[in-house]
Amino acid sequence: MDQKRLLAAIALSIGILLIFDFLGRPAREAQRAQQAAQQQTMQQQAAQGQQAVPTPGPTGPLGAPSDAAPAAGAPRSPAARLPVEGPRVQGSLNLRGARLDDLVLKDYRETVDRNSPLVRLLAPREGAAPYYNQWGWTAADGRTPVPGNDTDWTAEGSRLAPGAPVTLRWDNGQGQVFEIALSLDENYMVTAEQRVRNAGAEPVQLLPWARIRREYTPPTQGFYILHEGFVGVLDGRLREETYSSAKSEAAKRNGVAFEQEGPGGWAGITDKYWLTALAPVDQSARFRATFRALPEAGQDRWQADFAPPAALTVAPGETGGGQAVRLFAGAKEVNLLDAYATRLGIPDFDKAVDFGWFYFLTKPFFHVLHFLGSILGNFGVAILVFTLILKALFFPLANKSYKSMAKMKVLGPKMTEIRERYKDDPAKAQAEMMALYRTEKVNPASGCLPILIQIPVFFALYKVLFVTIEMRHAPFFGWIHDLSAPDPTNLFNLFGLIPYDPAQLSHYLHMPAWALIMGATMYLQQRLNPQPPDPIQAKLFQWMPLIFTFMLAGMPAGLVIYWSWNNLLSIAQQWTIQRNTTASRPGTAAVPAAAVPAGAAKPKKG
Amino acid sequence: MTPAAQALRGAVIAYQWTLRPLIGAQCRFHPSCSHYALEALQRHGALRGGWLATRRILRCNPWHPGGEDPVPPAAAPRAATPPAFQPVPKG
Repeated sequence: MDQKRLLAAIALSIGILLIFDFLGRPAREAQRAQQAAQQQTMQQQAAQGQQAVPTPGPTGPLGAPSDAAPAAGAPRSPAARLPVEGPRVQGSLNLRGARLDDLVLKDYRETVDRNSPLVRLLAPREGAAPYYNQWGWTAADGRTPVPGNDTDWTAEGSRLAPGAPVTLRWDNGQGQVFEIALSLDENYMVTAEQRVRNAGAEPVQLLPWARIRREYTPPTQGFYILHEGFVGVLDGRLREETYSSAKSEAAKRNGVAFEQEGPGGWAGITDKYWLTALAPVDQSARFRATFRALPEAGQDRWQADFAPPAALTVAPGETGGGQAVRLFAGAKEVNLLDAYATRLGIPDFDKAVDFGWFYFLTKPFFHVLHFLGSILGNFGVAILVFTLILKALFFPLANKSYKSMAKMKVLGPKMTEIRERYKDDPAKAQAEMMALYRTEKVNPASGCLPILIQIPVFFALYKVLFVTIEMRHAPFFGWIHDLSAPDPTNLFNLFGLIPYDPAQLSHYLHMPAWALIMGATMYLQQRLNPQPPDPIQAKLFQWMPLIFTFMLAGMPAGLVIYWSWNNLLSIAQQWTIQRNTTASRPGTAAVPAAAVPAGAAKPKKG
Repeated sequence: MTPAAQALRGAVIAYQWTLRPLIGAQCRFHPSCSHYALEALQRHGALRGGWLATRRILRCNPWHPGGEDPVPPAAAPRAATPPAFQPVPKG
């Protein structure tokens, strides 16, 4: 009877999961179709030599950097490019429009395969995934010609590299010469100084700006513990906007999702592992940072920009009307972000990594994990060792109750008696047992407080593992070559015996080995836990391992391994506790075991 | 019950249905801390009930003997100390 019910429940659960997946699929397919259609329209527009409609105009007289459409129909020569050659980046600067729109990260590859292409962070506007940085000006006086998207700049210097700065120059023919002096460091930082030389007879009013622009929406994890989208620390506060929240905010406020005026700070767009961010060189000067979501030709465009709060006036014969803003474009390596924060005074730059509410825990955890990983040579092993250390630190809390175990032996007869008497009323039996514990001053449970304290700690570890770049492409033993990717094995094709991947049908048909190990360890661990008194909760309790096996199937392998290991350690801990408890009960016939002093468990103390 | 008390009760119930089965109940008392919290919030409202529940959780550690520990009755004025626990019939 019970068996039948169990089977029915399993079938029902799987059915529900499949239905959800099925319901989600048309939406996903529609999204894909929409993207394809958009790409097609973009290509058509490009073919007609006509760019998309210009962005909605500036919000105010000094407002947004706007996208001037290039002259329509005019046949254009290919844009000149200037190579960018850093130790860790390579790419090129587009001299048409003064855009850094071609950058790959030399230390990171797309996949675990050593021959896979390098990770591309920035890409030109003409491609499928436009993502670039641009420097420019807006004419606040409404008459000074300013450089636009189709301006061809001349470069002073043959390449941009550490120790080899480049100055871009453009003469507007009306007496103003615009300059952008660029330099690159050993890692991911470009510094740009914008300035205008006014050789005209009249003063000019200009608003310099630097912007990061992403003209497509990247696929996101869509997982609540990982932020992807706009990010920045402005006026001392971490600001985050997901793509969807930015879109809805911007719809209400003419394209502006978020705006903040204040001293310095930094702001940009983040992916799980990569970041592009702008940060003024002078962190005490006031700037206005803006996050924008601008629909353009049916496609969402995302923009983060920095500009002075008001337009700058350049008197005749003078040089001014500029700003110096750094551009970070690279991998979110915590130590590197920290180094930039200290060396360049960029406030809380490490918060680009989503350390979350438990920053005070997650950040130190990261450092310990990083340290363990570097001395052990394997990040997976570092996870195991660190979890063991945490468990050991909490062990005394659980172990405290052992001291009363000797007394439990004396209580044995009374306990069996209570259990016998209230056989039909477990709640009553429990109440009586509790009263007995209290009068005799013993208690086998460790209590709620130790557990509640542990929740944030283990959540913090989980969070670090989820967000940290250390886990990316980090191998483990056996079939795990990338701790940040789901375990590739699958029960439903008998771990590769059947040459077919059922996960194509539904991602719920992916049941990797490590998820099964996790489920098994969780099941065992729960067997050792006292059951909740409520019968419905008790049922749910039994289902938990199965639910979690499915939930964790598609998660990064590193997390699943961590869960399994954590469960195993819990089992070991619980088992030692329980062995002492049961051994001390007469009637279990384990008299020799009962002779083991309660202190025997102590040497395991962390 | 006030909306605040309702919300807190909701949070406790959510805990009972998600985290509790996951991490295992390890309470040293009867009723358990979460049931105590539900009852305290119902009887004493968000502020006092929440305070009672917080104190109960802080008490629920290996250094406290634990045992039977019901929620104090609502009608009792502040001066009256609630009975600690019922003496247990032995034998």
